[in-house]
Amino acid sequence: MKSQSTIVRNVPQQDLSNELKFFVKGATKKEKCNPLDLTKSALTLLKSLPASRVAVLEYFRFIFDNAALNYIKAIETEIKTGSFLTVPETDEVIVSEIHTLLSVLISGNSVAWAPMISTWSLELLGEISSKYSGRAHFSANLNETLQLWMACRATRTLVDINTKCLSSLIYSDTEASISALLDTSIKHSPHFDWVVAHVGSCFPNTVITRVLSCGLKDFCQNKSYEQGCDSPKLKSVVGILGHLAGSHVEDIREAILAIFNWSLRETFEDTDLHRLQKKATVPYILQLFYLSSTLLSAVCMSIKDTLTIEVIGRLYHYVEDWCRYFGTPEALEELLMTLILRCEQSGAQIIKLLLNCIHLTKIRGNDQMKLNIVEKSKDILFNVLQEMEKSVRHANPVGIVISISKDLKELENMFLSSEKLVFETAGHLVILLGHMNSSAMVTSAQFLLQNATNADQLVLFLKCLTSDLIDKTTPPYSEKGGHFSVVLEQILSRNIQKFFGSNEENLDLSQMWTNLLTLLQWEKSGRVPCLNSKIITRALEANLTNLTSLFSSEVLHMHVIADILDTMEIPKPTESYSPPIQVILNLTQSTVNYFFACCHDDGTSKKLKGFQKVCQILKRLCTYSKVAKVLALRELLESALFRSDNVLFGANNIEHDYEMDKGLLKQNKKINKTIPLTKHSSVFNGGIIGTGKRKSVCFDELPSHVVANNIYQLINAIKACCALLEENKYTDMSWDSMTLLSLLLVQFVSPDVMYNGLPWPEEDFSKVTMERDLFIRRMFTNTPLLWELLSFVAVYRPAICYCSVLIRALTATLMHQWKSMGEQSKSGLSENYKNLMDTTIRVIDVMALGQLLPPPLSSIRDVLPYLKCHEIVAVLRECVWCYMRDHIPSPALFGCDSNLVYWRDPIIARPPEMYTNTLRIIMQRNIKSLGHMYAQMFINIPTHDT
Amino acid sequence: MSGKSGASEISLKQSLRKIEYPSSAKDALNKIVDLICGRITSIKNMDLALDLMAEFVFLEIDRRGHKRGFPLTPLIELQLIELLYEYFNNMSNESARNTVFLSIFSGTTAIMRLGVLTKLVSVAIAIPSATILSSASAWMQQLGNTSQNSCKLAEGLIQDYFYFYNPNTSSINLVPSISPQFTANFLTAVTENYFNFTKRECIFPPKVLMESVTTWVSENPGLCIAAQQKQAVLPPGAIAMEATTPIAGLLRWTVLAPINKQDSQVYGDLHLALLNSIIEIPKVTPPKAIYAQHLTGPINPILSYVNDLRNKQELKLDQILNEDNLQLALDRYAQAIQVIYSVNAVYGHVDDLFHQLKLLPFNKLMSIVISTYKKNKVIIL
Repeated sequence: MKSQSTIVRNVPQQDLSNELKFFVKGATKKEKCNPLDLTKSALTLLKSLPASRVAVLEYFRFIFDNAALNYIKAIETEIKTGSFLTVPETDEVIVSEIHTLLSVLISGNSVAWAPMISTWSLELLGEISSKYSGRAHFSANLNETLQLWMACRATRTLVDINTKCLSSLIYSDTEASISALLDTSIKHSPHFDWVVAHVGSCFPNTVITRVLSCGLKDFCQNKSYEQGCDSPKLKSVVGILGHLAGSHVEDIREAILAIFNWSLRETFEDTDLHRLQKKATVPYILQLFYLSSTLLSAVCMSIKDTLTIEVIGRLYHYVEDWCRYFGTPEALEELLMTLILRCEQSGAQIIKLLLNCIHLTKIRGNDQMKLNIVEKSKDILFNVLQEMEKSVRHANPVGIVISISKDLKELENMFLSSEKLVFETAGHLVILLGHMNSSAMVTSAQFLLQNATNADQLVLFLKCLTSDLIDKTTPPYSEKGGHFSVVLEQILSRNIQKFFGSNEENLDLSQMWTNLLTLLQWEKSGRVPCLNSKIITRALEANLTNLTSLFSSEVLHMHVIADILDTMEIPKPTESYSPPIQVILNLTQSTVNYFFACCHDDGTSKKLKGFQKVCQILKRLCTYSKVAKVLALRELLESALFRSDNVLFGANNIEHDYEMDKGLLKQNKKINKTIPLTKHSSVFNGGIIGTGKRKSVCFDELPSHVVANNIYQLINAIKACCALLEENKYTDMSWDSMTLLSLLLVQFVSPDVMYNGLPWPEEDFSKVTMERDLFIRRMFTNTPLLWELLSFVAVYRPAICYCSVLIRALTATLMHQWKSMGEQSKSGLSENYKNLMDTTIRVIDVMALGQLLPPPLSSIRDVLPYLKCHEIVAVLRECVWCYMRDHIPSPALFGCDSNLVYWRDPIIARPPEMYTNTLRIIMQRNIKSLGHMYAQMFINIPTHDT
Repeated sequence: MSGKSGASEISLKQSLRKIEYPSSAKDALNKIVDLICGRITSIKNMDLALDLMAEFVFLEIDRRGHKRGFPLTPLIELQLIELLYEYFNNMSNESARNTVFLSIFSGTTAIMRLGVLTKLVSVAIAIPSATILSSASAWMQQLGNTSQNSCKLAEGLIQDYFYFYNPNTSSINLVPSISPQFTANFLTAVTENYFNFTKRECIFPPKVLMESVTTWVSENPGLCIAAQQKQAVLPPGAIAMEATTPIAGLLRWTVLAPINKQDSQVYGDLHLALLNSIIEIPKVTPPKAIYAQHLTGPINPILSYVNDLRNKQELKLDQILNEDNLQLALDRYAQAIQVIYSVNAVYGHVDDLFHQLKLLPFNKLMSIVISTYKKNKVIIL
């Protein structure tokens, strides 16, 4: 308002009269005068003399026109000479003062002024745009024109004034103001388009709708396609919409869809003109798309919701009219093809629509129509795919290819279709994408591998990977052993993250594992030519590290993975591929884990097969690598003996007790805090107040047949570890491995490294070792498996020698126990006595089995049950202990025969009498019951001679 | 004689044609004054004057007498208006001025030149000119101040001063004091434009107009009859037309306002101002201020309003007749009739008026007014 007071001089009435005279003279060019003064005078009149307003606006026309002319001249000079001629400053001042006052008028009383000023400004803009359309470097490009005119003060001001008018009218009189705009547009088209475009961006909804319908009306009047193409009106429409598309895509889409939907609705009220327009709507829209790809992609976005099968059915009836319009059906088809190929949005939706049309089942209409639609859709789909492939091969992909590459999800859905054509099309598309960018193909292949449920889909998967369109010379193909390997790597590493990272992705890989196995089996079968290059094996080998570490974590799929690993035969003796040590270690460890998992498993056939696989894998590994062997044996033993798995093998799991303890120290500390006065109060481990007396621990014992079977399988697994590379006729175990096993047993069972040597000391010395002897004894009691292992070792002589310390410890404790047993207990045959006798017999059995005790000492087991306790002690001490003390159990005692079998000839190795006399005397004393034995042991002695 | 005058006619036109436009128009005007205000006015002179107006003042025809397409651009028009303003404003002889004014803007060309006239009057309001306004007043009166042309003039002025511009900041409010006669005629014409149920679309006066009119009438009780108080000086031989006062028309507004959802307080104020004005009408015999037939204006709209309500069938007849708006309208109507009758300002068929009033829905005041009238009439009889 302040500026306004400077413009409009507040004049007394008499001056108004003078002002009028001055203005009339100046404006009609009677007298030359300063344009600025004249403008001020005009503004004064406009403010105070109502009757003058039309004349004043008329005068402003000259001013704006002149300002525009000056601007154009300046630009022309600039083009010609290169130097910019400044626009006269007075123009700027005058225009801005007019702008100010008109704005005040509009905002002050928009109902009266806005329509008038709006019409005035539009007409003036139209005139100016037309008048100078050929001047300067005006091009037909709407954006350039817009920029050029918006740089001009006069026209910019007019546009601004007009916008002000429209925005004040928009609620009261939209229709009128927009149609005034378009009327002017029609009059001055196409030079006026930039104004419409600009106004359109201020009032997008209204303008877009009107412009579209205006274009349609014009389009209808053209009789043929060629004529329609050349229509300047259509170009105007495209120009305006194209300009608006930048910021009002949504509105444009809605408007286009609205007229499309309108064209589909036939009502009885339609006039002939309306019918004509409705028929022309689709060709019109197509034409718009042809001229502007912006519009095309704007609408493509919603193609899914717009073009449904039902809509296609309705459109079918128009086709004849359209063909007539385009001249030939081919012309229409060609246009359609061009548009489809050009789509940069929703390409996948278009393909899907075509496929849906091909698999048309339900449609309102006769069979002929259905047939036509299906056939045509097939044609188009085929052509589109062909064109796409052509473009891709020429390294110049069309829009739709790019569009599809953004929409891999849709392709993935297509993969899972049951229709052959659908997933094959998807495969075709993936190959095309893969040609440009292998990562897209890899992503799709991943999906396919994880979700394929039938052989067809797997075949498609292989086709994608092996297609000749896929570049196989560049990374990652060349580096990592093929795309398949990359696919696997991505799946597996994601899965590893799932287990080791916190962010969970709920991946269900079961299908993937099954598919992988299937593929591997196909490859092994050698009947699939495209797999002859062993891409599956190569890929798996490249991913073995991940695969093997997943083997232990993927509990749900361990059987399948075991199958895969077993089928792969790692390490394959015939092939050059040598797996890295990490793989060997991983595989060994996870196979051992798998073994125990199988033990836990309930399923019988899977379980049994699992054990077989374990043995096969372990055998391969252990014969290949010593490290693997050590690891496998150690892991097997440790788990079976000490970890919670030992329950499987009948152990009394002591460790469980500790979990129940609350920690005495903790409790004592707690009491200290709560009862500070009683200094010496302590908690003793008689139980916890409140929880009652300490309960004796009950073990969930497994049924004995289960334990037996588990032990059998464990021994098998250990055998597999110790197996020879090539099976010998007489022995299948390697001597080294058995020694290793034996040493491992000592290591695990013996509590310290002292006194683990082979020799047996004087019996008195056992006073020193008694504590550890008892420890060892308890191990054997709690872990019955140890007996089995010891027996197993004993069979494969001379490995048992290394377990000498265990046997000695057992014997020492037995002797001690028999000594303290006393005679009275024998009559009662107490539990204790039975246990002691069993254990003694077991120890003697093992020694006999391992040929540590030669005959007749080896038969002591049969004698013992008939003897009294002190006699047993005497036998154990005089015969067993003394013999062992004087004959150190070492491999040196054993000879190796021609078949590489170690043994001790019982005839040659017969003990001297000093070790057997005690036994003989005791037996003689008990000859009543031991007569038959005596003969066997001391009289019928075999010799080499007989 | 005729040949000579014919020759002088041509030479006059020739000489005028040599002069550039605004000056030629001025010269032509002077010539026209001579032609029609002279002692002897002949039809021939009159024709020549009309020719000169068409060719030199309004540029309606070219030298061969053919019509021009678009004679005046807005700027030229403004130039002409400025010229006419100066010319008439400085013409002291009222008789000559009115003569020229009437002849320029009347007759067959009246409609064509109405735009110029409207703008001229508009300028005469903006740059106050009592002389021009009085001529305009005479023009309205002679053409009939409720005639179509007068109404159009009024509408144009309202556009200028009440639609595009705010009356409170312009000089329109000075007009009643500058030229009460013009104001009265203007108001009469304005009343025809609003609350007119005989037109296709009935429109109502904008608020600013209502406010101004109310202010004018209440500040100057004599304004309504001003045109009757002072007769304009007319050309010799002309028959002076009696001015219609705006009273009946404005009463139509105030009476019909309540039943047309125009419930602004300003209608009440205007009604009061009108009643005050009526009371102050000086007694003359025979009365001439208000024509009885003009007062029947509200009757038909009221009856059709009642009919509409009845057709909607939402209300009982009883409720319709006691509706507040209807009763307010009838109250105002009865008040006005009573006051007018009491100051004896009505002429024409008063019996007929009262006969028609009886058709209206029952209203206590109205029934009293009617019965009083009957009583008085019986007494006179």
